[in-house]
Amino acid sequence: MALKGLDIFKLTPKKNCKECGSPTCMAFAMKVAQGGVALDACPYMSDEAKATLGEATAPPMKAITFGTGDAECKLGGETVLFRHEKTFVSKSLYATTVCSDCFDERMEEIRKVDYERIGERMHVEILNLVYGGDPAAYAALAEKAVATGKAIILECSCAEGAKAALEKCKDAKPILNGCNAGNVEEMNALATEYGVVLGVTGANLDELYDTVAALEAKGNKNLVLDVGTASVKDAFANAVQIRRAALKDKDRTFGYPSIVNVGKLAAGDRSMQTALAALFTMKYGSIIVMEGMSYAQALPLFGLRQNIFTDPQKPMKVEPGIYTLNGADENAICCTTVDFALTYFVVSGEMERSGVPINLLISDAGGYSVLTAWAAGKLSAGSIAKFFKEFDIENKIKSRTLVIPGKVAVLKGEMEEKLPGWKIVVAPNEAVGLVKFLKELKV
Amino acid sequence: MGKFVVIGERIHCISPVIREAMANFNPEPILKRAKEQLDAGATYLDLNIGPAEKNGVELMQWGVKLLQENFDNVPLALDTANMAAIEAGIQVYNRSKGKPIVNSADAGDRIGYLDLAANNDAICIALCSKHGIPSDNDERMAYCQELLERGMGLGMDPEDMWFDPLFLVVKGMQDKQMEMLEFLRMLTDMGLKSTGGLSNVSNGMPKHLRPIMDSAMVAMAMQCGLTSAIVNPCDQRLMETIKSCDVIKNETLYADSYLEL
Amino acid sequence: MPFKRMPQTFTASIGTVTIGTGEKAVTMGGENVLPLYSFDAPIANRPLIGVEVSDLGVDNTLPELAAFYAGADTVVEQAKRAATMPGADFLAIRLESADPNGANTPVEESVALCKAIADAVDCPLVIEGSKNAEKDSTLLAKVAEALQGKNVLLMSAKEENYKSICAAAVLAYGQKMGAESAVDINLAKQLNVLIDKMGVKGENVAMNVGSAAAGYGFEYVASTMDRVKAAALGQNDNMLQMPIITPVSSEAWSVKEAIVSEEDEPEWGPTEARGVEMEIATAAACLAGGSNAVILKHPKSVATIAAFISAII
Repeated sequence: MALKGLDIFKLTPKKNCKECGSPTCMAFAMKVAQGGVALDACPYMSDEAKATLGEATAPPMKAITFGTGDAECKLGGETVLFRHEKTFVSKSLYATTVCSDCFDERMEEIRKVDYERIGERMHVEILNLVYGGDPAAYAALAEKAVATGKAIILECSCAEGAKAALEKCKDAKPILNGCNAGNVEEMNALATEYGVVLGVTGANLDELYDTVAALEAKGNKNLVLDVGTASVKDAFANAVQIRRAALKDKDRTFGYPSIVNVGKLAAGDRSMQTALAALFTMKYGSIIVMEGMSYAQALPLFGLRQNIFTDPQKPMKVEPGIYTLNGADENAICCTTVDFALTYFVVSGEMERSGVPINLLISDAGGYSVLTAWAAGKLSAGSIAKFFKEFDIENKIKSRTLVIPGKVAVLKGEMEEKLPGWKIVVAPNEAVGLVKFLKELKV
Repeated sequence: MGKFVVIGERIHCISPVIREAMANFNPEPILKRAKEQLDAGATYLDLNIGPAEKNGVELMQWGVKLLQENFDNVPLALDTANMAAIEAGIQVYNRSKGKPIVNSADAGDRIGYLDLAANNDAICIALCSKHGIPSDNDERMAYCQELLERGMGLGMDPEDMWFDPLFLVVKGMQDKQMEMLEFLRMLTDMGLKSTGGLSNVSNGMPKHLRPIMDSAMVAMAMQCGLTSAIVNPCDQRLMETIKSCDVIKNETLYADSYLEL
Repeated sequence: MPFKRMPQTFTASIGTVTIGTGEKAVTMGGENVLPLYSFDAPIANRPLIGVEVSDLGVDNTLPELAAFYAGADTVVEQAKRAATMPGADFLAIRLESADPNGANTPVEESVALCKAIADAVDCPLVIEGSKNAEKDSTLLAKVAEALQGKNVLLMSAKEENYKSICAAAVLAYGQKMGAESAVDINLAKQLNVLIDKMGVKGENVAMNVGSAAAGYGFEYVASTMDRVKAAALGQNDNMLQMPIITPVSSEAWSVKEAIVSEEDEPEWGPTEARGVEMEIATAAACLAGGSNAVILKHPKSVATIAAFISAII
């Protein structure tokens, strides 16, 4: 984070002694702000001032990792409050709660939800283990959780229970989420001993802030902040204010990722949990804990998350290939469009609604929309002909009808030359016209 | 830093029409010029009543009330050598559309204007000069620091000090223009706001060339971070340039009608 | 050092638009904080929920939805039933069948339907046109005339037809209008400028800045809304201070996840539950982004989002 010269000037001795080589303290401050001169060129800068400035140039929000191997999870490290300002770097992660009694049932539910969407594996990444009061049972639960290969959160504010579980799952690098104003000493000692991330909570933001400051004073900066479950209103207010304090107001005490337990905020109400998970995916939930995750919940939530955490500079792309729709076989007609994910989804959605079996051929068009790809030379008769060769289309598909996007109708003639034997048909300009067009298409 | 602030300079006692209107407390010519400037896109209006040694208090209060009552509490820059008149003007000033601007302090004889602004919670234009034109940017910076320290010492928010780098006339000081722009860049890097009498740049040029030169200067100065200028808003080319620069700087959201807004 | 709260309130605020008449009239907008940030300053008007009623009738393939409308066999009866839906603030009559590329219902019939509904219910109404710009310019003008005095919101004016809708709907018959742009913030602003130049005041205009179902390019919707609110509040851009109304149901219920049958995707479970969750997640995301009103269709979504809003504000 760049500092303004004014912030530095306020800390200078303002005596214009010229010993730093600058004619005035103000000129010096400006050069420091630009990075042209180091702060210690000034012999009169106090240690306190140096510490203040050093702190101010540190990243505003820490990046925290937990879990190991395939289950390693990255949280935080954000620099902006809104994705269009730059990009978000760590997507929200979804956890489901498991307890000794409900473990098998929950695992059965969430194991079903494991699929791929535009190159990303969609599944519940984390198990949140609730402590039931018996250390031995908790240790057994931790052991079972380790066997699933998922990342682990220990939701436990009892040192004895936490220790028992940590013994079983320490190698999986879990988060120990259980520190509060009343148990700082023992929880910090445990987290430090086992080298795990510590989750901190407080009755309100002030208490949370003080607890974090106390932990930082003990040298522990490997933290996540639990926004609490007093009410939906408080949880949202806390999640926003924590993130905003760190990124906008440069208050590094709150520069940590967050945990939001929507499963507790809306216990038993799955639909409300969906709504809250969507809210916290939009606004500043690093880990979102739910009771469970049905397919019906997963489809919109993972889709939303994939959208929000895509880099605005990089379009989402689907893999080139043959996508069979509506039970298409080798005799079904071919349609083609670009690999820009949004175009693909809109087009394939309309095609599915038409009910017509289609082989949708997606070539590498650089992730651009149709017209942009055409203008950039990424969608041309040549590029499609090349794709046909690479994917051996003529041997895989018997149909010789290819539908091209209406916006590149100009390609028709050239494509007939490059793909001899193929009948090139031009689709409507807009995807909304596809259903009618496809239903009426005579092959 | 926000949208560029245009301070309309056309209510100035140097104009014979305005001088006469002020002498007779005749509202019409003043209101006409105020409306023209606001319609053209001015944010602030400068109210320059001249030296006004005798009736400054009365005249400034009359002017402030006249403009604010007729134009929805338009924010004003109060401009006169009579400090008591500025203070009197602030007493009747309505802040709902923005703080009053005191025009202006420097690091020399007029440093007391800074105290005046601080005491009245006003914005102050602060000229980075002491006697005449500073010889180089080191000198400008020294004055800037002096003013900044004094203002902060008086409890002013640095945001309320708008530093004037002193725009210089091209005809005669052509070789000093880039240095002035470099100084603007320094102010910007410091995180300070800036303003100034920009049309001084084209002083003495043929009338038809002035808008062209002023527009080029405002674009280059805005690139260096200039946040405001005291100009003639009825200069259409200049205003179009300012609006375009605001779009390029992402201070206003583009729409096809942006020049008409 | 204790935590220093830095509430982010703006001197600018979002404008308000009131629809309906009498006790049932509702107002959207008015806040001077970012969406749902009631911890920064009170939000006078919580976001509103509209219930979509299509002139094509109720989709009877969805058992819960069909059960809610059981016995309501005409669109007017369905509108009356919809008005009783817990959590509903207004009805959104969607004149889908008027689309010239669809059933192309004549203007007179659509107008008669709107009139019959307006006579049968006392809640505020939003009338959504056919989405065909040419047809809507006549259709919405006629609806505006027929529903004089009801203070309805007509959706939507686009770049192609805003003139006739401004002239007829707002200037002649005193109705409210929606200004629609498809996730294009510069066009959103420009359309508002053009509407303003027609002499229509901001208090008569709500924006539909575009919508998408979760997973279907929602990042564009989210960033458009973020930027609209940043300009409206942060830059005091009065050409973007109109409240935002977002049709969610039409998007959410048309994506694969909400349509594909359970036979085709047995793992996914019942279709209706998928549509409901898609509608809920999309609506919650829109509200987080800055919608001042959302249009939904399923009673379960309406109940959930109503509870969601009251829990947050």
